[in-house]
Order: sequence, then structure tokens, then C-alpha cells
Amino acid sequence: MGIKMTRGAFARPGTSLEYKTGSWRTQQPEYHHRSAPCHTACPAGEDAQQYLALVEEGRYQLAWENIVRANPLPAITGRVCHHPCESACNRGQYDESIAIHHVERFLGDRAIKEGWDYPVSTPPEQALVVAVVGSGPAGCSAAWHLVRQGYRVDLFEALPMAGGLLHSALPPYRLPRDIMQAELERLLHTGIGFLPGKRLGRDMSLDELQADYPAIFLAPGTQRSRSWDSGGATPSDLHVGLDLLKQWTSIGTIKHWSSVAVIGGGNTAIDLARVLKHAGVESVHVVTFQSLPQSGEQLPDRMPAIAREIDQALEEGVTIHEHRGVQRLVLRGEQVVGVELVHMKEVPDSQDGAKTVTFEGTESILDVDQVIPAIGQVVDPEGLGSLLNHGEFLAADNHGRIPGHPQVLTGGDARGDRGTVSEAIGDGRRAAAQIARMLQQQADPEAREDKPIVLEQLNLNYYEYAPRPEVPVLPVEQRSASAEVQGGLEQQQVHGEGQRCLSCGSCLACDNCWTLCPDMAVLKRSEAPAGEAPYVFDYDYCKGCGLCAHECPSGYITMQAEA
Amino acid sequence: MNDNDTSVDISALRNEQPRFTGIESGHRACLGCGEALAARLVTEAAGPDVIYANATGCLEVFTTAWPESAWRVGWMHSLFENAAAIAAGMEAALKRQGKATKVIALAGDGGTFDIGFQALSGMLERGHNVLYVCFDNEAYMNTGVQRSSSTPHAASTTTSPSGEARMGKRHLKKDIVSIVAAHHIPYAATSSVAYPSDIRKKVRRAMAIDGPTFLHIHSTCPLGWGHDGALSIEVARLAVQTGLFPVIELERGSVVSVMPIRRVRPVTDYLSIQNRFRHLFADDDQARVELEHLQALADHNIEVYGLRGEKADALDSEGANTVQRGGMQWA
Repeated sequence: MGIKMTRGAFARPGTSLEYKTGSWRTQQPEYHHRSAPCHTACPAGEDAQQYLALVEEGRYQLAWENIVRANPLPAITGRVCHHPCESACNRGQYDESIAIHHVERFLGDRAIKEGWDYPVSTPPEQALVVAVVGSGPAGCSAAWHLVRQGYRVDLFEALPMAGGLLHSALPPYRLPRDIMQAELERLLHTGIGFLPGKRLGRDMSLDELQADYPAIFLAPGTQRSRSWDSGGATPSDLHVGLDLLKQWTSIGTIKHWSSVAVIGGGNTAIDLARVLKHAGVESVHVVTFQSLPQSGEQLPDRMPAIAREIDQALEEGVTIHEHRGVQRLVLRGEQVVGVELVHMKEVPDSQDGAKTVTFEGTESILDVDQVIPAIGQVVDPEGLGSLLNHGEFLAADNHGRIPGHPQVLTGGDARGDRGTVSEAIGDGRRAAAQIARMLQQQADPEAREDKPIVLEQLNLNYYEYAPRPEVPVLPVEQRSASAEVQGGLEQQQVHGEGQRCLSCGSCLACDNCWTLCPDMAVLKRSEAPAGEAPYVFDYDYCKGCGLCAHECPSGYITMQAEA
Repeated sequence: MNDNDTSVDISALRNEQPRFTGIESGHRACLGCGEALAARLVTEAAGPDVIYANATGCLEVFTTAWPESAWRVGWMHSLFENAAAIAAGMEAALKRQGKATKVIALAGDGGTFDIGFQALSGMLERGHNVLYVCFDNEAYMNTGVQRSSSTPHAASTTTSPSGEARMGKRHLKKDIVSIVAAHHIPYAATSSVAYPSDIRKKVRRAMAIDGPTFLHIHSTCPLGWGHDGALSIEVARLAVQTGLFPVIELERGSVVSVMPIRRVRPVTDYLSIQNRFRHLFADDDQARVELEHLQALADHNIEVYGLRGEKADALDSEGANTVQRGGMQWA
């Protein structure tokens, strides 16, 4: 050794690795996937955060596959859903929520255009066969999820074509028929045995189904209008909302009145009011005891109709009378010439929770020559016998099980506590999972609370403000029976929405933790299993400062106290 | 469930990180140390063909607990006051040997603003091809938080305590970058540990210049400033966003570019999360005056350097750290 150095004068490179600073730690960072609010809010069970990430990477087909693993009808729901995902979107509190339903619609349309195959293989011949009654959204969803789990499905439908209320209740200006038919047809070709023209109670009985199939999913919808009268008087030519809407969507014409009052605050009432307006009825009034949606407020008695559709109806000249009820029909002979309106409101009640009351002294007369109740539909009891038990709906638990009938499950509008296409699709998915558990004799899954990640758990310094893209909306004067009112997004805009997504609760692979760790205790790998972060913590050196967790933009890192 | 993958061979992975590692793990810096992070970012951007001269200070102490060293590059420590002189000597020797190896001097604010000030001035005056990096944590942290000439006005340290007579340090923070730039050197810049891409850009820029260059990096000190280590980046970012620490570049003594502040934050956002300024939030007339004084200093910086952003900019205080899927923003 030529060099003579005093003690401590030199050290070999990188030897500090021998000292494990991880022993200082009292809390450790952990990567935890947490649910995005769009996911927990979706009645159909979609995880928009996941497919927006795929959209951002330009993997559109994978994004679509991700949607259909929850919801097989994205081109339809992308148009008709009231998108609670967007109300829940954290970005909505930052600038503007992601246009999730437009992305969904774009992917659904693209799948139809490109003919992407549904990610499923045809069930084997010897697989058990499950019966699904009704091919509306709930039935289609159940059938799809059963096929995905390897079961064969006999899907019974009373009408010649699939779709259920999609045909009867959704006007073409909201859901173009070519899109709807294309998507349904593609879905029915995934190995589902579709049996049209088979009505429960006429072509087969519930007992026969129970004898032939190990499990039955009933999704008959609500085919009967709730009876309506006003003080015992019913006009001679009473038309019921949904029947008129059905007549119009299947025949394309509607009777011409000059002034109409539609009673009800749901989607049927609003759709019908718009249809009447499009057909040339001069004044169209919607009468509801509920309230108009106020932006930013969740009123308990808010009209159940979709806010966007209410806005468009108002634009088109429909008059909505909120907090009003029809007290009496004004008749000349048997002919309606008006209705007596009265202020009416739902008020809290200590015994019944809430009750609807009218207020004396607030009566007024509205001149109309027709009154159309659209106050709701109930299950047609035909063929359901004891299941309905004289009720209006099929009562079931959250998995769709009907108490006392272990083989039979239900979902969709027939439950009575649902009212949207997306909820029906979610019902079909849950019931299919329950049927699979039942047939495999598995126990119920543990109920787990899935609390979504909130805005305060993200680090917003790392995101830029960016506006939500606008979609073209048909001007009022160009609206008609069939022209779709709301347009869609271009691919570039859809990609932009993928980029705008905050990725709540999921790793963005942004490198923040890897870049910002003062102790080099975050290591990056070139490849990671799908859905996992490309980083790993080296707990030998992590001191537990928490800097990575604080600077993680998407809230994917949490600090856990150590024992 | 912890998604951390335990099937990974960590030590193998450590050896194949897609970045140059100048400083290894196992160093003894405090939890959330801003200086440790800033130093690593500098070594990462400077690459392997570098020799470092390190002044006495936290960085020197926490990276070299004998018989270990966290350094994986040539590194030397001599004294507190002479990092610039040692760097100058190494540079002259390398030049004589015909080697292109770059020399970087590393020092804290004490070793730069106070104790090593004349050695730095001499190195700049003689025109050595050295990048001098000052990690500014605004006090003598290694010896127990004594005030330096870099300590900001009104900050409480063990030698400028807040009390009845005075609200922390009476004097102002020395404007070191202007003094350094006044040597008419090719490049002098400030940066912040909150903006790693800005540090990298400036290190690369300085490395490419043949001549004396100076980089002043605002580096948070959780211990001395009195904030949680988890907030080190947050605090540093607020120093920039309030205007209290201007991020600027000077060539031959003139300001050539600044990092614009898109959304100027009030100084209280920065001050209120640090214990060294806690006394300014007491219900006290003098405290209120001092808070206004610090706000005026920030306003002055914004005015003098033209820091207020006119429009959204990818390199401003909001755009310079925007994340992208895949991590390209820090490159």
C-alpha cells in the first residue's frame, strides 16, 4: 500500500447500505388501491377510473372490455343513464367532472362499429342451464353474467324482440334504434339462448320453469299502469302515459290534442311531455307534487326524472308545475276541459316517514283538453301467482333473492325499488353472481364497506385545470321524434378525458414516490403485474417519513402505524 | 391489503434502477430531509463522471458515518470553509491531467453564505470550471439550528429566538445569488427541491458550461423549520408559490428567466405550517407587523423579478410539476 491514510479518512462506495435505516420507522407507507367515487356510485358496477386509464393509454378495446365485464350495454347506458358517477366524480369539486357517460358511449359505439368480440367463451354443452324471464336491461345483464360464469341461459321474452322497456319507454331521440338493436343483437350472440315470443303464464308456467331449471331470474319489468282516478272521475278516453309512449315508439304517431296535462315526475312523464311537444301539442304541462332539481342540492322530494332530460324538456317549451297535484277533473259531460290543481307536497311524518298533503286555499284551474297519468307502473301479476302475494312488486333482497322461493331471483323495475336502466343492469349482475354461488353451494360473500376516496386525500398540486369538453346538442327547432338530441365526443376529446381523470385511489405510475423519496427506499421495476404499481418499497431503508404518501397525487399510498 | 409486491428481489432491483445513483440508501439524514433529496437529484442529473468537494455540514455528516459512505462517486471533504478552494484545486489538477471529469462543490448555506464565502468568491473570480451547489436550509442545522446569514427574517432559531425583545431573526436573508452573479459568471440559478425537473434542467445546463456556475437549491429541513417530514415538498413548494423564494436564472449577472407563479399564495400559507414562524401567529401587534413585513418581502420579490404568471404555462409554479401517467414529467 503506497498510500498511508489516517483512520477514518476513506470509505468504500455505497457501503452505507450496510446500515438499515428501516429500523427507525414507526409507520410504514403502503400501496393500497382504493375505490374511486365513480366506481362506488355506478349502479351497474362499472369502474370508470379503470377504463379511463386504459383510454388514456389509447387501449380503447381493453377499455370497452373493462366496461362490459360489469355492463354489457355501454352504447345504451352511455346515452340513457343519469350517470351518478359524474355527480360523484372528485374532479367535479376541482373544476368539472369527467364526461364519463360520453366516454362510455364512445366506447360502446366504437365496439359496434369495429365489431369487437365480447370477452367471453361460449359455455360448454354440458353446462347447467339457467332460465331468465324478460330481456330488458336486467334480464340481458343477468344472461350475460351467467354466460360469463360458464352457465347456459334460456332467455324468455314475450315480445318478438329483445330489449324490454328500452323499446317501449325510451324515445329514439334519446336512444337511436339502430344503436340499441345493434348492441342487443351483438350481446345475444355471445352464447345466450334467446327465446322470443314466450310469455310467462301463457306459454309456460312458473311451476314448469321451476321443474326444468335449477335457477330462475325473473325480470318481467312493470307492464301494468297503476290505476288512476280523480275524485272517482275517470275521463272516458283516459290514456296512460307509458301506453301512449309505447304506442308512439312502436307506431310513430300520437293523438293530437291542443293542451295536455301529464301527471307525474318520472322519466315517463318527461319523455311523454317531450314527445307530445314534438308532435305539435301546443301547451304541455307536467304536474308533479315533487320538486324540480336544483343544481348542487339533493332535495329529498326531487322529481325522479333525469335532470338533463328535464332541462331539455323545459328548453323545448314544456311547462312543469312542481309541488302541485290534480284535485279534480273539470268535465263538460264526459269530456275533460280542465283540471283543478292544488299545492301538494310531501312532508315528513313521524309515523309513516313522509306523507303527501294538499293545502286548502291554493286551488286553481288549468285548461287542458286531455289529462294523462304517468304515475308509475306495477308488475303484471299474470303467471307470477304466489310470488307477487297481492303486492305491486316482487320484493327481494340485494342479491335478488325472493324470500321463501330459494330457486327464484328477481331484479330490475319489477322489484319496485329501482327505476333506471343502470340499476337493472346491476341487479342482473348481482343475481347472476348469487345464482352461481347457489349452484356451487357457496356461502354469501362478506358484506364489506367500500368507502370511496375523497378529494382531500388526493394531492391536487400535481393536476392542471382543464375544462370538460362540450358535446353538440341539437337546437330546439331541429328536434324531432327520431333525431338524437345529444351528440357524442370525438376520439381526441375522449382521450383528453382519460388524461383529465385524477386516477383516484389508483397508481398513475407518475414516478412521484420514486423521485421524491429522500432515502431511495422506493424502487422502480420495468414491468409490473397488471393493475399494480411499478414501484416497491424497500422497508430496509424506508424511515417512514410519509413524504411519498403526502405527495402521491392519487391517494394510492397510505401510512400505517407499525406495532 | 398492502399491494407492495413481496415476491420481488429487492437487492437485485436496487442494482437495476433506471437512473444514475450517486448517493445510496442507508445515509443518516432525518425523516423527510429536503437536502438529502436535493443532493440525490443533483448527483442523478450530473451523472458518473464527476468528483465532488463537500463542505462540512449536514450532507457531509449524514452521508459518511465512518466506516461507511453513501457516495458512489468520487467525493472529498476537507473543512467547513474551503469546499470552493478544494474544488478549484481538483479542477486545476484534472485540467493539468487532461481529464474532462467535472468538479462539483457541495455546501450548505452556512458553508456558502458565511464560512465559505471568500473561498467561493475566489473560485468564481479565478474562473474555475466548477459547478457550485448550495443546499439552502436557512440555518446551521447540523450543529443545532443556529441562525446563518441565509436564515429568513423573523425565523426563530436557537441563536435568534423569538421572545419579548424580538420576533426571531432581526436581519434579512442575504441575497446570495445576486452577489454570486455579480462576479459576472456565465450562469447562476436558484431552484427548489419541490421541482425536481427544474433542478435537473439547471444541473444539466450548468454541466454543459465551461466556467464557474452556481446553483442555489432551497431545501427544506423538517427538524430546523419545525414541520412534519411528510410536508417537506409541500413547504418547499409554498416557498416558491408565495414568492418568498424566487426561482430564477442569471447569465453574466443579468436575470434571463424566472419560474412564473400562476396562483400567488399568501405568505401565511407557507409560514403557518412551520414552527420557526409560529410566534408570528400570536395575538400580538409586533407579530402582525412582522407577518406584513414578510408579505411585503414576497411582494417585493414578485415585483422585482416579475414573477406573476400572465397565463398558464407548462413551466410555471403549477405546470412544472403536473403529473402524467408514466412519469415523464420529472425527466
